[in-house]
Amino acid sequence: MPASLRKELFATPLDGVVTVLLITGLAAAGSRLLHWALTQADWAVIQANSTLFAVGRYPIEQQWRLWLLGALLAAAAGLSWGVLRGLALPDRPTTALWPRHDRLAASLLVLLAAWAPAALGLTLTIQSRWWGLTGLLLLVRWLAGRYGSRLGKTAPLVLPMVWPLLYLVGMVLIGGGLGLVAVGANEWGGLLLTLVQASFAILLSAPLGVLLALGRRSSLPLLRWGSVVYIEFIRGAPLITLLFLGQNILGFLLPGGMAPDRIWRAAWILTFFSAAYLAEAVRSGLAAVPRGQLEAARSLGLSLPQALAKVVLPQALRIALPATVGQFISLLQDTTLLSLIGLLDLLGTARSVMANPLFLGKSAEVYLTLAVLFWCCCAALGLGSRALERRLNPPSLGR
Amino acid sequence: MTAEPKVAKSPAMIEARGVEKWYPNGFHALRGVDLTVQRGEVVVIMGPSGSGKSTFIRTFNALEEFQKGSITVDGIALNDDLRKIDAIRREVGMVFQQFNLFPHLSVLDNLTLAPVLVRKRSKGEVLNQAMALLERVGIAEQAHKFPGQLSGGQQQRVAIARSLCMEPRILLFDEPTSSLDPEMVREVLEVMQGLAADGMTMVVVTHEVGFARQVADRVVLMADGQVVEEATPERFFDHPQHERSRQFLSQIL
Amino acid sequence: MASRLGKSPPWWQNRRLLPWLVQASVGLVLVLVIAFLLGNLVRNLSAAGLLLSWRWLGQPASFDIAETLLPFNASQPYWRGLLAGLVNTLRVVGLGFVGATLVGTLVGSASFSGNGLVKRLARIYVELIRNIPLLLQLVFWYFVVFLALPNGAAAIQLPGIVLAKSGLFLPGFEAGFQWSGPTLVDGVWQAPLRFTPEFGALLTGLVVYTGAFIAEVVRGGIAAVPKGQWEAATSLGLGPLPSLRRIIIPQALRVIVPGLNTQYISLAKNSSLAVACGYTDLYSVAETSLNQTGRAIEVIVILLAAYLAIDLVISLLMNGLNRLVQIKER
Repeated sequence: MPASLRKELFATPLDGVVTVLLITGLAAAGSRLLHWALTQADWAVIQANSTLFAVGRYPIEQQWRLWLLGALLAAAAGLSWGVLRGLALPDRPTTALWPRHDRLAASLLVLLAAWAPAALGLTLTIQSRWWGLTGLLLLVRWLAGRYGSRLGKTAPLVLPMVWPLLYLVGMVLIGGGLGLVAVGANEWGGLLLTLVQASFAILLSAPLGVLLALGRRSSLPLLRWGSVVYIEFIRGAPLITLLFLGQNILGFLLPGGMAPDRIWRAAWILTFFSAAYLAEAVRSGLAAVPRGQLEAARSLGLSLPQALAKVVLPQALRIALPATVGQFISLLQDTTLLSLIGLLDLLGTARSVMANPLFLGKSAEVYLTLAVLFWCCCAALGLGSRALERRLNPPSLGR
Repeated sequence: MTAEPKVAKSPAMIEARGVEKWYPNGFHALRGVDLTVQRGEVVVIMGPSGSGKSTFIRTFNALEEFQKGSITVDGIALNDDLRKIDAIRREVGMVFQQFNLFPHLSVLDNLTLAPVLVRKRSKGEVLNQAMALLERVGIAEQAHKFPGQLSGGQQQRVAIARSLCMEPRILLFDEPTSSLDPEMVREVLEVMQGLAADGMTMVVVTHEVGFARQVADRVVLMADGQVVEEATPERFFDHPQHERSRQFLSQIL
Repeated sequence: MASRLGKSPPWWQNRRLLPWLVQASVGLVLVLVIAFLLGNLVRNLSAAGLLLSWRWLGQPASFDIAETLLPFNASQPYWRGLLAGLVNTLRVVGLGFVGATLVGTLVGSASFSGNGLVKRLARIYVELIRNIPLLLQLVFWYFVVFLALPNGAAAIQLPGIVLAKSGLFLPGFEAGFQWSGPTLVDGVWQAPLRFTPEFGALLTGLVVYTGAFIAEVVRGGIAAVPKGQWEAATSLGLGPLPSLRRIIIPQALRVIVPGLNTQYISLAKNSSLAVACGYTDLYSVAETSLNQTGRAIEVIVILLAAYLAIDLVISLLMNGLNRLVQIKER
């Protein structure tokens, strides 16, 4: 046994015993799980309902729009990935086009595209569409990495514009309008609904959260106390209670009959909820920017909005980035609460699937699949955030 | 105790009369301060900590408010008019003890940010001026670096160049070398000396006696929110008139 | 202040006036919006015959609560039902604090273990739990674990403890000071102390989830203690356990206690997901009450007030604890 391994695992007799116990325990549990997954588990429940899980009851003849959106998403993801990778850092010339981590990620994506659709029992046409999406993502990533440096200074601005724009385009593609057949919100379901809710809340709560954070630090009493009351009220209430409030009371607050759809009520509640937590994250970012920065900017003649936009916020948002992305990840996870108010997000769809007598008792398979799906999404977001953070706060910035 | 004005004919650059300031907790920071600074003069303000000297010069560009008295900068009266405050800030540059460079921007971007945004000049012409200024303070080769990569002395010189890029009529210095390691103080003082020789109006809060002796036209001693003594460097350092001045000088010399 | 240039500035350029004007306009907008919403609220409520009233609280609830410390049945008033729900919430939250703190402390300190495997397992546990939604974990515990337990004679039987589909059965004192253990009566387990699977699933899920976050807080607190403290302790001849107890932990607590506050409040709020496990906590009772009476505003006010009160109590207690652990500085 190599010396380093021995030191790590068997340094003392007690260590040795603990290690042996843990290894045997893990091996036993692991093999039981694997045995169950490969022999006893009935994965048909996933295969039979894959469309339901993915897009709910979205009309089949309109699903081509979702594929189009998928392609746009893949392109945008590849673009972001490539641009971020290609961003030349001040103290480092452009890095290699496909560094080790990227090659690893790319191969994982290819493997996933090859295995997952087949494992889900999808038809060959649909499988090839998934291959196409993956190929598109990698192609755009390559192009962006190769030619992204031509964008120069505008590069960091491209991304914050692409995603909101994509969201708007996506809403038209999903919901209808501009010549496309309308598909009502109550027909959206599964992963589609989860992503729509999460992206709506993320995009709208970001500016609201920044405003609240600025208000919280304002010297004007009304703005400060208003922000405090809002933030503390939201943070003191469980999300399910607020969702409950949204479903039941929002209707009363608007002139009779004007209550928005249940789905949008929930989306707005998620937005207001997330904004309060975001405000706290941005606030600590703002507090970490030294006062002298604002003073220097003002003494140079910049107006308050200019000083905030060009000097204070860029620094504050960089510092607040990990906490902000953490809040977005929480938001993605919080969408599961929609299942408790009767909406058919991913978890809600799962429960309705299991109410089907055909699939009764298959809860383990379904919940495990969902757990893996969520874990992959959230972990990927977390990794991306850490990578972004490293890019934005290189040691050369002196932090 | 007025000092002889350097140029008797032109109107004063800074005219402060009876300035008083109370902090919200009731502390009386400035108790009726008068000061006149002529065009091209270099005034050094010294004093023990807590004397209000930093607070005083920060009233000149409205970083601090005052409750009583009057301040006129380059002919513009400081009051509640935001337009006037903006006009004054364009003409008054400030160099801080903590440098306060913008760490997320390159050195060059630090210099060009304000002229482009505030004076609405084109980026191209500002770039030329910025490079010339960086040459002048001796760090042209660092133009594309970030503040975090520079030493303290280099950062402060960038800060001076940044203020100069707005083409101010007056430069205020708030203890510019107090945060520097001793070996870097000289390079900054040399730059400041060069500026004075070129005729810049400067008000400098500092403890650097050598600089005051060599460059200042007048030395002002402040203590407890008031001006104690005002004289030429020779008279101030060699023949201080007030007990408080003698006390202060014995501590720093 | 003498103004040499005469004209006083227009109101939007007046430094003294501007803040008040901004606040006045923001305030005006807020007042208008609130008035609009409230007006609609009153109008819609009166149209539905649901104007604010609290009398319904005294009317008999038409539902039972199966599991409660407070005896309750359908003939008793709503307020009693809500109280029973509150007691249930407090029950799971209280035990949750204990469990999560234990788990979190254990896992958090495990990150500093000398054993490489233990360290990695702690890391994996935290990363695994943090990235899976709590609700998903709760339904997993309830449906996949607790409801899948065997029942009757096939239940898991340990000395004095029985774990079955119908719950966890522990020995205790019967009526009159008789100590007795779990017994099987007509295929149904009975015992003085019984925890339903609903309660068990909720508690386990909350403990596992919050424990992971508390582990991070503990880890951050211990990591915040400067390395020199460890070295000083060892050089003084203190073994690992005494140095931990007397030197490291008191300093780590300074950072840990505020973090614990956040996590405890989070646990208290997360207990509202009990409805997914079928456990009748305050939220679940409130939801049922609303469905039956239609009294949305009143019910939600009660809910918000209750949870806010719980949060306040937790914060007060933790602030007191915080003051105890803060080191007096010069």
